[in-house]
Amino acid sequence: MAEEKLLTVNVVTPDGSVYDEKTPMAVFRTTVGELGILPEHIPLLASLEIDEVRVKVPNTEGKFDEIVVNGGFVEFSDNVATVVANSAERKEDIDLERAERARKRAQERLKKARQEKDTDKLRRAEVSLRRAVNRLNVSKH
Amino acid sequence: MGASLQEVKRRISSTKKTEQITGAMQMVSTAKLSQIQRHATGYQLYAEKIRSVITHLAKSHLLDNGAAGISASPNQAGDQINGLGMLVKRPVKKTGIIVITSDRGLVGSYNSNVIKQTLDLIANGNHSTNDIVIIAIGGTGADFFKKRGFNVAYEYRGISDIPKFRETHELVKRIITMYSAEIFDELYVCYNHFVNSLTSEFRAEPMLPISAMNIGSEGLGEDSAAGYSAEYEMEPSEDAILEVVLPQYAESLIYGSILDAKTAEHASSSTAMKSATDNAKDIISSLELQYNRARQSAITTEITEITGAQAALD
Repeated sequence: MAEEKLLTVNVVTPDGSVYDEKTPMAVFRTTVGELGILPEHIPLLASLEIDEVRVKVPNTEGKFDEIVVNGGFVEFSDNVATVVANSAERKEDIDLERAERARKRAQERLKKARQEKDTDKLRRAEVSLRRAVNRLNVSKH
Repeated sequence: MGASLQEVKRRISSTKKTEQITGAMQMVSTAKLSQIQRHATGYQLYAEKIRSVITHLAKSHLLDNGAAGISASPNQAGDQINGLGMLVKRPVKKTGIIVITSDRGLVGSYNSNVIKQTLDLIANGNHSTNDIVIIAIGGTGADFFKKRGFNVAYEYRGISDIPKFRETHELVKRIITMYSAEIFDELYVCYNHFVNSLTSEFRAEPMLPISAMNIGSEGLGEDSAAGYSAEYEMEPSEDAILEVVLPQYAESLIYGSILDAKTAEHASSSTAMKSATDNAKDIISSLELQYNRARQSAITTEITEITGAQAALD
Protein backbone atom coordinates (compact mmCIF):
# COMPACT_ATOMS: atom_id res chain seq x y z
CA MET A 1 0.00 0.00 0.00
CA ALA A 2 1.29 3.42 -0.91
CA GLU A 3 2.17 5.84 1.82
CA GLU A 4 -1.09 7.16 3.22
CA LYS A 5 -1.66 10.87 3.17
CA LEU A 6 -2.25 12.11 6.66
CA LEU A 7 -3.62 15.13 8.42
CA THR A 8 -3.11 16.11 12.03
CA VAL A 9 -6.00 16.34 14.43
CA ASN A 10 -5.41 18.49 17.45
CA VAL A 11 -8.01 18.95 20.18
CA VAL A 12 -7.33 21.86 22.51
CA THR A 13 -9.23 22.92 25.58
CA PRO A 14 -8.42 25.62 28.14
CA ASP A 15 -6.91 22.89 30.30
CA GLY A 16 -4.45 21.89 27.65
CA SER A 17 -4.25 19.71 24.60
CA VAL A 18 -6.33 16.54 24.81
CA TYR A 19 -5.52 14.84 21.57
CA ASP A 20 -2.83 15.22 18.96
CA GLU A 21 -2.50 12.49 16.34
CA LYS A 22 -2.06 11.97 12.65
CA THR A 23 -4.84 10.38 10.68
CA PRO A 24 -6.01 9.68 7.13
CA MET A 25 -9.54 10.87 7.93
CA ALA A 26 -11.48 12.68 10.64
CA VAL A 27 -15.24 12.90 10.97
CA PHE A 28 -16.87 15.84 12.71
CA ARG A 29 -20.44 16.50 13.61
CA THR A 30 -21.15 20.11 12.74
CA THR A 31 -24.30 22.05 13.47
CA VAL A 32 -25.50 21.39 9.94
CA GLY A 33 -24.53 17.76 9.64
CA GLU A 34 -21.71 15.28 9.49
CA LEU A 35 -18.48 16.39 7.91
CA GLY A 36 -15.55 14.24 6.94
CA ILE A 37 -12.18 15.83 6.42
CA LEU A 38 -9.47 14.21 4.35
CA PRO A 39 -5.91 15.46 3.97
CA GLU A 40 -5.48 18.59 1.89
CA HIS A 41 -8.98 19.77 2.38
CA ILE A 42 -9.42 23.49 1.76
CA PRO A 43 -9.26 25.74 4.82
CA LEU A 44 -12.46 25.49 6.77
CA LEU A 45 -14.20 26.75 9.85
CA ALA A 46 -17.18 24.93 11.29
CA SER A 47 -19.10 25.03 14.52
CA LEU A 48 -19.55 21.67 16.20
CA GLU A 49 -22.44 19.92 17.89
CA ILE A 50 -22.12 18.44 21.32
CA ASP A 51 -21.10 15.10 19.95
CA GLU A 52 -18.05 13.08 19.16
CA VAL A 53 -15.17 13.54 16.81
CA ARG A 54 -14.04 10.35 15.14
CA VAL A 55 -10.48 10.05 14.02
CA LYS A 56 -9.40 7.11 11.93
CA VAL A 57 -6.33 5.36 13.25
CA PRO A 58 -3.73 5.08 10.48
CA ASN A 59 -2.97 1.65 8.96
CA THR A 60 -6.02 -0.05 10.39
CA GLU A 61 -9.28 -1.18 8.90
CA GLY A 62 -11.93 1.12 10.21
CA LYS A 63 -10.58 1.63 13.67
CA PHE A 64 -11.47 5.05 15.07
CA ASP A 65 -10.34 7.10 18.04
CA GLU A 66 -13.31 8.81 19.57
CA ILE A 67 -13.20 12.12 21.37
CA VAL A 68 -16.17 13.67 23.09
CA VAL A 69 -16.41 17.40 22.49
CA ASN A 70 -18.78 19.80 24.15
CA GLY A 71 -19.47 22.17 21.32
CA GLY A 72 -16.81 24.54 20.12
CA PHE A 73 -15.55 24.75 16.60
CA VAL A 74 -13.05 23.18 14.25
CA GLU A 75 -10.54 25.05 12.20
CA PHE A 76 -8.71 23.39 9.34
CA SER A 77 -5.73 24.83 7.54
CA ASP A 78 -2.31 23.59 6.41
CA ASN A 79 -3.42 20.02 6.92
CA VAL A 80 -4.02 20.57 10.61
CA ALA A 81 -7.50 20.29 12.02
CA THR A 82 -7.74 22.07 15.35
CA VAL A 83 -10.78 21.49 17.48
CA VAL A 84 -11.23 24.30 19.97
CA ALA A 85 -13.74 23.37 22.64
CA ASN A 86 -14.47 24.29 26.22
CA SER A 87 -14.03 20.72 27.21
CA ALA A 88 -13.21 17.47 25.50
CA GLU A 89 -12.33 13.98 26.61
CA ARG A 90 -10.99 10.93 24.92
CA LYS A 91 -13.31 8.01 25.06
CA GLU A 92 -10.92 6.13 27.35
CA ASP A 93 -10.83 9.02 29.81
CA ILE A 94 -14.55 9.29 30.40
CA ASP A 95 -15.52 8.84 34.00
CA LEU A 96 -18.72 6.83 33.68
CA GLU A 97 -19.85 7.40 37.22
CA ARG A 98 -19.38 11.12 36.99
CA ALA A 99 -21.22 11.28 33.69
CA GLU A 100 -24.09 9.30 35.14
CA ARG A 101 -24.29 11.64 38.11
CA ALA A 102 -24.22 14.63 35.79
CA ARG A 103 -27.06 13.14 33.78
CA LYS A 104 -29.22 12.68 36.85
CA ARG A 105 -28.50 16.18 38.04
CA ALA A 106 -29.33 17.65 34.67
CA GLN A 107 -32.60 15.76 34.53
CA GLU A 108 -33.62 17.08 37.91
CA ARG A 109 -32.77 20.59 36.89
CA LEU A 110 -34.74 20.15 33.72
CA LYS A 111 -37.78 19.08 35.66
CA LYS A 112 -37.48 22.00 38.01
CA ALA A 113 -37.00 24.47 35.20
CA ARG A 114 -40.11 23.13 33.47
CA GLN A 115 -42.14 23.65 36.60
CA GLU A 116 -40.85 27.16 37.03
CA LYS A 117 -41.22 27.87 33.33
CA ASP A 118 -37.80 29.50 33.38
CA THR A 119 -36.62 29.37 29.77
CA ASP A 120 -33.09 30.37 30.64
CA LYS A 121 -32.66 27.59 33.17
CA LEU A 122 -34.44 25.16 30.88
CA ARG A 123 -32.05 25.83 28.08
CA ARG A 124 -29.03 25.46 30.30
CA ALA A 125 -30.31 22.23 31.81
CA GLU A 126 -30.93 20.89 28.32
CA VAL A 127 -27.38 21.63 27.31
CA SER A 128 -25.89 19.91 30.33
CA LEU A 129 -28.17 16.93 29.81
CA ARG A 130 -27.02 16.71 26.22
CA ARG A 131 -23.42 16.78 27.35
CA ALA A 132 -23.92 14.05 29.90
CA VAL A 133 -25.90 11.82 27.55
CA ASN A 134 -23.35 12.37 24.83
CA ARG A 135 -20.55 11.29 27.11
CA LEU A 136 -22.45 8.20 28.17
CA ASN A 137 -23.34 7.28 24.61
CA VAL A 138 -19.82 7.54 23.35
CA SER A 139 -18.36 5.54 26.19
CA LYS A 140 -20.83 2.75 25.55
CA HIS A 141 -20.01 1.95 21.98
CA MET B 1 21.21 38.65 83.66
CA GLY B 2 19.97 35.11 83.94
CA ALA B 3 16.38 36.13 83.18
CA SER B 4 17.42 38.04 80.07
CA LEU B 5 19.48 35.06 78.94
CA GLN B 6 16.38 32.89 79.23
CA GLU B 7 14.31 35.44 77.36
CA VAL B 8 16.70 35.74 74.45
CA LYS B 9 16.81 31.98 74.23
CA ARG B 10 13.04 31.82 74.08
CA ARG B 11 12.90 34.47 71.37
CA ILE B 12 15.46 32.59 69.31
CA SER B 13 13.47 29.39 69.43
CA SER B 14 10.19 31.10 68.59
CA THR B 15 11.73 32.95 65.65
CA LYS B 16 13.19 29.67 64.47
CA LYS B 17 9.74 28.14 64.44
CA THR B 18 8.36 31.08 62.47
CA GLU B 19 11.20 30.69 60.03
CA GLN B 20 10.34 27.05 59.56
CA ILE B 21 6.73 27.91 58.83
CA THR B 22 7.46 30.68 56.35
CA GLY B 23 10.11 28.51 54.76
CA ALA B 24 7.60 25.72 54.25
CA MET B 25 5.04 28.15 52.88
CA GLN B 26 7.57 29.48 50.45
CA MET B 27 8.26 26.02 49.15
CA VAL B 28 4.55 25.31 48.78
CA SER B 29 4.02 28.52 46.84
CA THR B 30 6.97 27.82 44.60
CA ALA B 31 5.65 24.35 43.86
CA LYS B 32 2.23 25.75 43.05
CA LEU B 33 3.80 28.39 40.88
CA SER B 34 5.59 25.88 38.74
CA GLN B 35 2.45 23.76 38.56
CA ILE B 36 0.28 26.62 37.39
CA GLN B 37 2.88 27.72 34.90
CA ARG B 38 2.79 24.31 33.34
CA HIS B 39 -0.97 24.49 33.23
CA ALA B 40 -0.86 27.94 31.69
CA THR B 41 1.19 26.75 28.73
CA GLY B 42 -1.63 24.36 27.86
CA TYR B 43 -4.07 27.22 28.01
CA GLN B 44 -1.83 29.43 25.88
CA LEU B 45 -2.31 27.00 23.02
CA TYR B 46 -6.05 27.24 23.26
CA ALA B 47 -6.10 31.03 23.60
CA GLU B 48 -3.79 31.43 20.64
CA LYS B 49 -6.04 29.34 18.44
CA ILE B 50 -9.20 31.20 19.34
CA ARG B 51 -7.46 34.50 18.89
CA SER B 52 -6.11 33.64 15.50
CA VAL B 53 -9.54 32.57 14.31
CA ILE B 54 -11.08 35.77 15.67
CA THR B 55 -8.36 37.86 14.10
CA HIS B 56 -9.00 36.18 10.85
CA LEU B 57 -12.69 36.91 11.05
CA ALA B 58 -11.88 40.46 12.01
CA LYS B 59 -9.63 40.72 8.99
CA SER B 60 -12.44 39.81 6.68
CA HIS B 61 -14.16 42.97 7.95
CA LEU B 62 -16.77 40.92 9.55
CA LEU B 63 -16.48 42.61 12.87
CA ASP B 64 -17.24 46.06 11.51
CA ASN B 65 -20.01 44.78 9.33
CA GLY B 66 -21.35 42.68 12.10
CA ALA B 67 -21.36 45.52 14.55
CA ALA B 68 -22.98 47.87 12.13
CA GLY B 69 -25.36 45.37 10.69
CA ILE B 70 -26.92 44.23 13.89
CA SER B 71 -29.01 46.97 15.25
CA ALA B 72 -28.89 46.74 18.98
CA SER B 73 -31.56 44.24 19.77
CA PRO B 74 -30.58 43.49 23.30
CA ASN B 75 -34.02 42.88 24.67
CA GLN B 76 -33.93 39.23 23.99
CA ALA B 77 -31.11 39.31 26.46
CA GLY B 78 -31.31 37.27 29.58
CA ASP B 79 -32.75 34.17 28.07
CA GLN B 80 -29.88 33.68 25.71
CA ILE B 81 -26.25 34.51 25.52
CA ASN B 82 -26.13 36.51 22.40
CA GLY B 83 -22.77 36.10 20.73
CA LEU B 84 -23.14 38.76 18.11
CA GLY B 85 -24.46 41.12 20.76
CA MET B 86 -20.98 41.19 22.20
CA LEU B 87 -19.83 43.24 19.26
CA VAL B 88 -22.38 45.97 19.69
CA LYS B 89 -21.19 49.05 21.52
CA ARG B 90 -23.87 50.34 23.78
CA PRO B 91 -23.99 53.76 25.37
CA VAL B 92 -22.21 53.21 28.65
CA LYS B 93 -24.45 53.68 31.62
CA LYS B 94 -22.76 51.28 33.94
CA THR B 95 -19.27 49.90 33.98
CA GLY B 96 -18.54 46.43 35.20
CA ILE B 97 -15.19 45.74 36.75
CA ILE B 98 -13.91 42.30 37.58
CA VAL B 99 -11.41 42.59 40.40
CA ILE B 100 -9.25 39.56 40.95
CA THR B 101 -7.65 39.33 44.37
CA SER B 102 -6.60 36.49 46.60
CA ASP B 103 -8.70 34.85 49.26
CA ARG B 104 -6.03 34.79 51.88
CA GLY B 105 -3.32 37.11 53.05
CA LEU B 106 0.41 36.52 53.26
CA VAL B 107 0.91 37.49 49.66
CA GLY B 108 2.85 40.69 50.15
CA SER B 109 1.53 43.75 48.40
CA TYR B 110 -0.44 41.70 45.92
CA ASN B 111 -3.93 42.64 47.09
CA SER B 112 -3.29 46.22 48.07
CA ASN B 113 -1.72 46.79 44.69
CA VAL B 114 -4.76 45.57 42.76
CA ILE B 115 -7.22 47.40 44.97
CA LYS B 116 -5.33 50.67 44.92
CA GLN B 117 -4.93 50.68 41.16
CA THR B 118 -8.55 49.74 40.65
CA LEU B 119 -9.61 52.70 42.76
CA ASP B 120 -7.34 54.91 40.69
CA LEU B 121 -8.94 53.59 37.55
CA ILE B 122 -12.39 54.36 38.88
CA ALA B 123 -11.31 57.84 39.94
CA ASN B 124 -9.66 58.58 36.60
CA GLY B 125 -12.65 57.43 34.62
CA ASN B 126 -14.85 59.90 36.47
CA HIS B 127 -17.25 57.18 37.37
CA SER B 128 -19.35 57.72 40.39
CA THR B 129 -19.72 54.86 42.81
CA ASN B 130 -23.23 54.21 41.56
CA ASP B 131 -22.16 53.60 37.99
CA ILE B 132 -19.75 50.87 38.93
CA VAL B 133 -20.65 47.25 39.21
CA ILE B 134 -17.97 45.19 40.89
CA ILE B 135 -17.52 41.51 40.32
CA ALA B 136 -15.12 40.32 42.94
CA ILE B 137 -13.11 37.17 42.49
CA GLY B 138 -11.35 36.53 45.77
CA GLY B 139 -12.45 37.41 49.27
CA THR B 140 -10.13 40.33 49.95
CA GLY B 141 -11.47 42.43 47.11
CA ALA B 142 -15.07 41.50 47.88
CA ASP B 143 -14.76 42.60 51.49
CA PHE B 144 -13.02 45.82 50.59
CA PHE B 145 -15.45 47.00 47.96
CA LYS B 146 -18.47 46.03 49.99
CA LYS B 147 -17.20 48.02 52.93
CA ARG B 148 -16.68 51.00 50.68
CA GLY B 149 -20.30 50.87 49.57
CA PHE B 150 -19.72 49.71 46.02
CA ASN B 151 -22.28 47.64 44.22
CA VAL B 152 -20.78 44.17 44.36
CA ALA B 153 -22.93 42.25 41.92
CA TYR B 154 -21.19 38.95 42.37
CA GLU B 155 -18.46 37.58 44.51
CA TYR B 156 -16.63 34.36 44.13
CA ARG B 157 -14.50 32.91 46.87
CA GLY B 158 -12.49 29.79 47.26
CA ILE B 159 -11.09 29.53 43.78
CA SER B 160 -8.65 26.65 43.78
CA ASP B 161 -4.92 27.09 43.54
CA ILE B 162 -4.73 25.76 40.04
CA PRO B 163 -8.05 26.87 38.61
CA LYS B 164 -9.52 24.48 36.08
CA PHE B 165 -11.67 25.79 33.29
CA ARG B 166 -14.65 23.74 34.39
CA GLU B 167 -14.59 25.40 37.76
CA THR B 168 -14.58 28.92 36.41
CA HIS B 169 -17.00 28.17 33.63
CA GLU B 170 -20.10 28.80 35.70
CA LEU B 171 -18.69 32.09 36.90
CA VAL B 172 -17.71 33.22 33.45
CA LYS B 173 -21.11 32.25 32.06
CA ARG B 174 -22.76 34.32 34.73
CA ILE B 175 -20.65 37.36 33.95
CA ILE B 176 -21.51 37.12 30.30
CA THR B 177 -25.19 36.68 31.06
CA MET B 178 -25.01 39.81 33.20
CA TYR B 179 -23.55 41.65 30.26
CA SER B 180 -26.32 40.48 27.96
CA ALA B 181 -28.88 41.47 30.56
CA GLU B 182 -27.42 44.99 30.52
CA ILE B 183 -26.42 45.01 34.15
CA PHE B 184 -23.34 46.72 32.78
CA ASP B 185 -22.49 48.02 29.33
CA GLU B 186 -18.76 47.60 29.32
CA LEU B 187 -16.49 45.29 31.22
CA TYR B 188 -12.97 45.67 32.51
CA VAL B 189 -10.83 43.10 34.21
CA CYS B 190 -8.38 44.32 36.83
CA TYR B 191 -5.69 41.94 37.96
CA ASN B 192 -2.00 41.51 38.48
CA HIS B 193 -0.26 40.26 35.42
CA PHE B 194 2.55 37.81 36.09
CA VAL B 195 5.81 39.10 34.65
CA ASN B 196 8.32 36.91 36.43
CA SER B 197 8.57 35.40 39.86
CA LEU B 198 9.71 38.70 41.37
CA THR B 199 7.52 41.20 39.61
CA SER B 200 3.96 41.47 38.55
CA GLU B 201 2.24 44.45 37.06
CA PHE B 202 -1.29 45.70 37.35
CA ARG B 203 -3.44 45.40 34.30
CA ALA B 204 -6.86 46.73 33.50
CA GLU B 205 -8.12 45.28 30.29
CA PRO B 206 -11.28 46.16 28.46
CA MET B 207 -13.05 42.91 27.76
CA LEU B 208 -16.56 43.56 26.55
CA PRO B 209 -17.86 44.63 24.13
CA ILE B 210 -15.41 42.86 21.88
CA SER B 211 -14.08 45.38 19.45
CA ALA B 212 -11.69 44.97 16.61
CA MET B 213 -9.44 47.23 18.62
CA ASN B 214 -9.07 45.11 21.69
CA ILE B 215 -8.40 42.10 19.55
CA GLY B 216 -5.70 44.10 17.80
CA SER B 217 -4.26 45.25 21.09
CA GLU B 218 -3.52 41.67 22.01
CA GLY B 219 -0.32 42.10 20.12
CA LEU B 220 -1.49 40.39 16.98
CA GLY B 221 0.30 42.31 14.32
CA GLU B 222 0.47 41.60 10.65
CA ASP B 223 2.99 38.78 10.85
CA SER B 224 1.04 36.44 13.07
CA ALA B 225 -2.10 36.98 11.06
CA ALA B 226 -0.28 36.37 7.84
CA GLY B 227 -0.27 32.63 8.44
CA TYR B 228 -4.02 32.71 8.34
CA SER B 229 -4.43 34.67 5.19
CA ALA B 230 -6.06 31.68 3.54
CA GLU B 231 -9.75 32.11 3.00
CA TYR B 232 -11.86 29.77 5.01
CA GLU B 233 -14.87 27.90 3.93
CA MET B 234 -17.50 28.61 6.53
CA GLU B 235 -19.81 25.94 7.71
CA PRO B 236 -22.70 26.79 8.11
CA SER B 237 -22.17 30.57 7.86
CA GLU B 238 -19.92 33.31 9.17
CA ASP B 239 -22.57 34.55 11.53
CA ALA B 240 -23.15 31.11 12.96
CA ILE B 241 -19.43 30.65 13.51
CA LEU B 242 -19.17 34.00 15.23
CA GLU B 243 -22.10 33.06 17.38
CA VAL B 244 -20.02 30.15 18.69
CA VAL B 245 -16.59 31.71 18.67
CA LEU B 246 -17.30 35.05 20.29
CA PRO B 247 -18.70 33.80 23.59
CA GLN B 248 -15.91 31.25 23.69
CA TYR B 249 -13.43 34.03 23.10
CA ALA B 250 -14.85 36.14 25.90
CA GLU B 251 -14.85 33.15 28.20
CA SER B 252 -11.27 32.31 27.37
CA LEU B 253 -10.19 35.90 28.01
CA ILE B 254 -11.73 35.95 31.45
CA TYR B 255 -10.37 32.52 32.30
CA GLY B 256 -6.98 33.64 31.04
CA SER B 257 -6.89 36.61 33.34
CA ILE B 258 -7.93 34.50 36.31
CA LEU B 259 -5.12 32.10 35.50
CA ASP B 260 -2.66 34.94 35.08
CA ALA B 261 -3.73 36.55 38.35
CA LYS B 262 -3.44 33.27 40.18
CA THR B 263 0.06 32.78 38.81
CA ALA B 264 1.01 36.24 40.02
CA GLU B 265 -0.52 35.43 43.40
CA HIS B 266 1.62 32.34 43.85
CA ALA B 267 4.69 34.24 42.76
CA SER B 268 3.90 37.08 45.11
CA SER B 269 3.23 34.71 47.95
CA SER B 270 6.47 32.89 47.30
CA THR B 271 8.44 36.14 47.29
CA ALA B 272 6.73 37.40 50.43
CA MET B 273 7.50 34.16 52.24
CA LYS B 274 11.08 34.20 51.06
CA SER B 275 11.66 37.68 52.45
CA ALA B 276 9.92 36.65 55.68
CA THR B 277 12.27 33.70 55.97
CA ASP B 278 15.27 35.93 55.27
CA ASN B 279 14.12 38.40 57.88
CA ALA B 280 13.69 35.61 60.38
CA LYS B 281 17.24 34.47 59.67
CA ASP B 282 18.54 38.01 60.26
CA ILE B 283 16.72 38.26 63.55
CA ILE B 284 17.99 34.88 64.65
CA SER B 285 21.59 35.77 63.92
CA SER B 286 21.39 39.08 65.76
CA LEU B 287 19.62 37.38 68.67
CA GLU B 288 22.25 34.69 68.77
CA LEU B 289 24.95 37.32 68.94
CA GLN B 290 23.07 38.99 71.76
CA TYR B 291 22.68 35.66 73.51
CA ASN B 292 26.35 34.81 73.24
CA ARG B 293 27.36 38.23 74.49
CA ALA B 294 25.06 37.93 77.47
CA ARG B 295 26.33 34.45 78.20
CA GLN B 296 29.93 35.59 77.93
CA SER B 297 29.40 38.55 80.20
CA ALA B 298 27.64 36.29 82.70
CA ILE B 299 30.68 34.00 82.72
CA THR B 300 33.04 36.95 83.08
CA THR B 301 31.06 38.27 86.02
CA GLU B 302 31.13 34.87 87.64
CA ILE B 303 34.91 34.55 87.24
CA THR B 304 35.44 38.04 88.60
CA GLU B 305 33.30 37.15 91.59
CA ILE B 306 35.22 33.92 92.23
CA THR B 307 38.64 35.53 91.89
CA GLY B 308 37.43 38.45 94.03
CA ALA B 309 36.34 36.07 96.75
CA GLN B 310 39.66 34.19 96.44
CA ALA B 311 41.59 37.44 96.83
CA ALA B 312 39.53 38.35 99.89
CA LEU B 313 40.34 34.97 101.50
CA ASP B 314 44.07 35.25 100.85
